[in-house]
Amino acid sequence: MNLARIVLAIGVTAAPTLLPAQMLDPALLQKQPTDAWPTYNGDYSGRRFSPLSQINQSNISNLKLAWSYKAKPGETPGSQVGGEGAAVKPGEGGGNPFGVSIKATPLMVNGVLYFTTPDNTWAVDARTGQEIWHYFWRTRGGIHIGNRGVGMYNNWLFFETPDNYLVSLDAKTGKERWHKEIADVKQEYFSTPAPIIVDNHVIVGTGGDSLDVPGFLESRDPETGDLQWKWWSEPMKKGDPGAESWPDEYSMRHGGGMTWIPGTYDPDLKLYYVGTGNPNPVMAGQSRKGTDLFTCSIVALDIATGKMKWYFQASPHDTHDWDSAQTPVLFDGTVNGQPRKLLAQANRNGYFFVLDRVTGKNILSYPFLETMNWSKGVDANGSPIPDPAKEPQVAGVLVSPPSGGATNWPPPSFDPETGLFYVGTSASYSVFYLTDTDPHPEGYGAAERNSGGLGSTLRAIDYHTGKTVWRHDFPGGGTAGLLTTAGKLLFAGDSSQHLIAFDPATGKILWHTDLKGSIANGPETYTLDGKQYLVVGAGDSLQAFTLGQ
Amino acid sequence: MKPARVALVLLSAIVPFVWAHAQDGPPANRPASAQAAPTPPPRRGGAGAGGEYKAYDAATLEQGKKVYTANCAFCHGGNAKGGETGPDLLRSLTVLHDENGELISQVVLNGRPDKGMPKFNLPPDQVADIAAFLHDGVRAAAQRGTYKILDILVGDPKAGEAYFNGPGGCTSCHSVTGDLAHIASKYDPVNLQQKVVMPREGRFGRAAGPAAASGTAITATVTTPSGEVVNGLLGRIDDFSVTVTDQSGKPHTFTRDGDVPKVEIHDPMKGHFALLKQYTDADIHNLTAYLETLK
Repeated sequence: MNLARIVLAIGVTAAPTLLPAQMLDPALLQKQPTDAWPTYNGDYSGRRFSPLSQINQSNISNLKLAWSYKAKPGETPGSQVGGEGAAVKPGEGGGNPFGVSIKATPLMVNGVLYFTTPDNTWAVDARTGQEIWHYFWRTRGGIHIGNRGVGMYNNWLFFETPDNYLVSLDAKTGKERWHKEIADVKQEYFSTPAPIIVDNHVIVGTGGDSLDVPGFLESRDPETGDLQWKWWSEPMKKGDPGAESWPDEYSMRHGGGMTWIPGTYDPDLKLYYVGTGNPNPVMAGQSRKGTDLFTCSIVALDIATGKMKWYFQASPHDTHDWDSAQTPVLFDGTVNGQPRKLLAQANRNGYFFVLDRVTGKNILSYPFLETMNWSKGVDANGSPIPDPAKEPQVAGVLVSPPSGGATNWPPPSFDPETGLFYVGTSASYSVFYLTDTDPHPEGYGAAERNSGGLGSTLRAIDYHTGKTVWRHDFPGGGTAGLLTTAGKLLFAGDSSQHLIAFDPATGKILWHTDLKGSIANGPETYTLDGKQYLVVGAGDSLQAFTLGQ
Repeated sequence: MKPARVALVLLSAIVPFVWAHAQDGPPANRPASAQAAPTPPPRRGGAGAGGEYKAYDAATLEQGKKVYTANCAFCHGGNAKGGETGPDLLRSLTVLHDENGELISQVVLNGRPDKGMPKFNLPPDQVADIAAFLHDGVRAAAQRGTYKILDILVGDPKAGEAYFNGPGGCTSCHSVTGDLAHIASKYDPVNLQQKVVMPREGRFGRAAGPAAASGTAITATVTTPSGEVVNGLLGRIDDFSVTVTDQSGKPHTFTRDGDVPKVEIHDPMKGHFALLKQYTDADIHNLTAYLETLK
């Protein structure tokens, strides 16, 4: 639509004529491709909407499994091996204490799928599901909780490791080109994002909440891995913008704000949008009185310099681990009848936000989670006002949502045809007990006990009002990442391992299949040889669906 | 409107979708209270990475605290989080990168003359003890699964009793001389509170086993269009099927299509979940204080 038209007007730095088979034409990243999935969200907007309609409501019943690939992480015979850690025994390693789960959104470029689990990257033939190569990273440690995938620039792949290296591989062979340490694993940083490539910038974020370290986002050179710019989530000294929101330099320099979900980008405005994590110490706020900028915020950074153009804080002085890292989704819409460049986010704290993405001005803040009980409304800027009585206390306070949030990392979707924003949400309560009463708490500083779930729901939200237009309450739990298509389909999953197609206009279930594995990422789609594929991760397998005859 | 509406309304307590991992490090689940703190897994070095930390024996830690207190606490504070003249050692890069005292000993033995820290001529075993003490301090901050919940008995037992007998509606199922007699001698305050506020404690699976025995399990009644009625423990349920296990232990699975067959769900803990939307924090604290009097 509007966005795509503008995107096309942007100059392309390199326009190769003859491409080696693996090469990603950078031009692909500047428009919405249908024959590739070249970046984490399919395009820069984060909408996860595909204009493809070969698979549609009329033929969805013919959707069949085309192939399935079972990922075997670890140092297996034939693997490319890298990393700074110790060797592991054959077949071991891959450090997946929570079980193998493909949380990555695979990239598909020129018939090859590239995806990750922590310490592992694969290239798989998108037509057959045959493995082309596997790369294994010998780790030094770090929390092996998930990895969102790779970024691609020409023939180079980039991914991050739990021990905080940015690793570049040759996409053709899986051979390592170089690796660069981006953060210190001994400070409990661990890295999960998929790098996002914009022009000649490799945008890299990180995570880590256990030892009170500052978050950052940085840009690296795709050829050398050298640092181009680094944006810290907090001011680093008195006098810096935002410093007034912290009591002292020491607290801001240990203030958290991790950038662990890939952001989105507007090529016209040349702004990169990313949500920042919660402040640290996570749940004990006594040493960081103030709003703790720019944690729990959506920020817009100049892509060339990393300078912040604007911010919007979603959870001022957060004490419940509600990072605001959820995908900031970009689309062009209308507000009071006027066309506007918008950004919308369903936040972990239970609010749905709509911002003007040019200025960062708040347009709408609406609590979508009915059980939300921590906020006393919103201030003049649209930022929720936290109720101090709901900060963790020694004797316990009951708060909804719990730290896991009203929603979390699984990607939402915006369908320009329905004009609705889709997101999976979860209702629950936790009691938060302050456990560290020291004037200088460290780590989380509080314990949390969860009540159990009050239901999980797929919602279609009207961005004009924030209201849920339709909802599907999953009887037994849902939902993972989402995808909408011009075939008038909305793909989601439930906790019974089903992939489900809904009517995006009404929420009616149109089709489902048993993946025989827990859906772990957001489904994606593309055409190859004229055939539309739907690809989804289910536990340790990657599954591709096409229309049967 | 929604096919499964009837079921959903009743289904207050069923499994949440658990955000498999919220990127906050290892899941914070368990222990329910301080008593059951898990032992951290052994690791090769002192410093951590990825939530794994070396476990030191109590004697080493005690000795470490003694040596630390005698030599270091004056500047770095009794808990090593920093004092008036010395920095926080639990956030020190030297400490975080140290494995077994090799980096810490450099600083201890040589001092930091540029920053006003004198030399300490301590024998290697005492430096190692200090290192153990500091590494365990880092572990204690980083491993939230081991945090100890403090004294939660702040409520007013009289107000708790009034809530129990009045707005809480507790007496519709419970009696303090019946099922709750001596309840406080069975559970410590934290566990007692959690029995009330989070009866299923966010467990992933539906109540089974012990829950079934204690009468807290979710049951369902399935009525087919032909009039067949099956009662039993609720197993898996989703938009496409439901499984109930009857008294003989036989599972019955039905395909679901909207409201067919009819599924009625009965959750004995429904009242507890309804209270989540009604409680004030004071109600919870008072109720806990009252129940704690039932020794």
